[in-house]
Amino acid sequence: MARNELILKNVTKRFGGLTAVDDLSFKVEDGQIYGIIGPNGAGKTTVFNCITGIYKSEEGSVNWRGEEIRGMTPYQIVDRGIVRTFQTIRLFGQMSVAENIMSGRHIKSAQKWWHGIVPTPGSLRDEKENWLKVQEQLEFFNLGEFAATPTNSLPYGIQRRVEMARAMAVEPTLLILDEPAAGLNDKETLGLVETIYKIREKGVTVLLIEHDMDMVMEITDYLTVINFGKKIAEGTPAEVQANPAVIEAYLGSEDEDDE
Amino acid sequence: MNNYQRIVFPLFVVVMAVLPTLLNPRWQAVAITFLIFSVVALSQDIVLGKAGMFNMGQALFFGMGAYITAILNYKFGWPILATIPLAILLPALFGIILAGPIVHLRGDYLLVVTIGFNIVFVQVLQNNLGGVTGGPNGIFGLDSLSLFGAKLTSQLAVYYFAFAVLLLTLWVMRNLEKSKAGRALHYLREDQLAAESIGINTRIYKVFAFGLGAGISGLAVTVYATQYAAVSPEAFEFIVSVLFFSIVLVGGSSIPGVMLGVFVMFVVPEIFREFATWRYFVFGFAMILAMILRPRGIWPATFGKIPKYLIKGGSHGA
Repeated sequence: MARNELILKNVTKRFGGLTAVDDLSFKVEDGQIYGIIGPNGAGKTTVFNCITGIYKSEEGSVNWRGEEIRGMTPYQIVDRGIVRTFQTIRLFGQMSVAENIMSGRHIKSAQKWWHGIVPTPGSLRDEKENWLKVQEQLEFFNLGEFAATPTNSLPYGIQRRVEMARAMAVEPTLLILDEPAAGLNDKETLGLVETIYKIREKGVTVLLIEHDMDMVMEITDYLTVINFGKKIAEGTPAEVQANPAVIEAYLGSEDEDDE
Repeated sequence: MNNYQRIVFPLFVVVMAVLPTLLNPRWQAVAITFLIFSVVALSQDIVLGKAGMFNMGQALFFGMGAYITAILNYKFGWPILATIPLAILLPALFGIILAGPIVHLRGDYLLVVTIGFNIVFVQVLQNNLGGVTGGPNGIFGLDSLSLFGAKLTSQLAVYYFAFAVLLLTLWVMRNLEKSKAGRALHYLREDQLAAESIGINTRIYKVFAFGLGAGISGLAVTVYATQYAAVSPEAFEFIVSVLFFSIVLVGGSSIPGVMLGVFVMFVVPEIFREFATWRYFVFGFAMILAMILRPRGIWPATFGKIPKYLIKGGSHGA
């Protein structure tokens, strides 16, 4: 079996005249917690969209477990074990937490479309099995008490947890988190860090974008820093923190201050 | 929810089962049409309510089923009941073929295309395509129901036929709610991008919704053709699609909601028939009120119908 490696090579995505991602290459290895950081508008989310099939990059290659996934549709990519969350939470707002998590079981469920019209003993068993998987996720993310609550009536921090639970219900091998700590308070962020470690223990590789620098530096094994769609640095958190190009991107160069 | 399943629904079945014996023939006819329209409205609910696609052409599938029954019966002498499988399958197939290229359209664009389909369909009927649709007059003189050689000519028989069709449809709707396919429709209505990103092939399920909706309405109109022993193009005009569209909007995307919608939009105007010119005024006013006071319908869709073992003590919400 191929290793769970995600390799981006020379990925370029343009929107009209704007090059949002410019010749970007990086490699996420099996079992890593990999971070992508960069100032606002650096193209981080666009990179995620290119990996998960929401956009198709014009050039380059996105390789997952030895297979080219560039140009596949989002659901095909999910089928290969890559699942994401969104920076702006995208839950099925009117539906309950349990139903939201159940959506993650969609691709694992063996039911066919015609089971929606006439159920069979097999489809009913499948239904039950998947609800039990949902129960596992409810327990893992400590969401049991909210199982029947519509998600749009929940506090922000809990919605974030529901979104991660939904993604984990797919049983992914690569989990992509788009700013998982955005809008969380300190206590919730600590809980999130613990959760991410626990997810890694399950053998899931994690790729994340984050603005909370303390958290990124603590949690990631390896980092890529991008600015204006280009990679400006990569390395371990300690290496990146010491890199002058990174400091310049975040704080502005001294030359600019002089002028 | 349990109250609904344990009390309201059995009560509804009992009332509907004894109802025709209490009515005079005119109101029996209204009751039959109520049942048929309920089934068609439920089929519209699958597309508009559950999957959230603005389909303004349900009368097309409705009409197609009716014409298939009429043509097979009148021209080829098939018994009415024998036409049912084709009256379901052909509209469903046609629904799938038509929906395939258009389901990626959003909201109002889809609405306009489906209106177009509906108008084309009525034009085709009026121009007597292939000499089988009977032109603007339609087809008259269909057989009445017959089962195992016994003629069931009474209005009562048609009523129970319609009632059986409604129960069958309710059963399908219930199965849909408790299946992967039914949930997929809800997910894609709520947030299409999120649905795709969690692994749902939204296109397939949108086409599925169209196909299933078309199939169910095809079944409903077999009864319709039987009731009137005739079909004609004006029964399937665009305005009929508008009626079903507004039934789902006013009623809300739930079974009681849709049935209430049919009652408000169809039976209530029948009651106020004496006030002929006023009834559309009242009707329009009721719609505006419903939209302001209950924007998600009189009886909106409810969620959180999850297995009991998932609900812990002290659970919030439903």
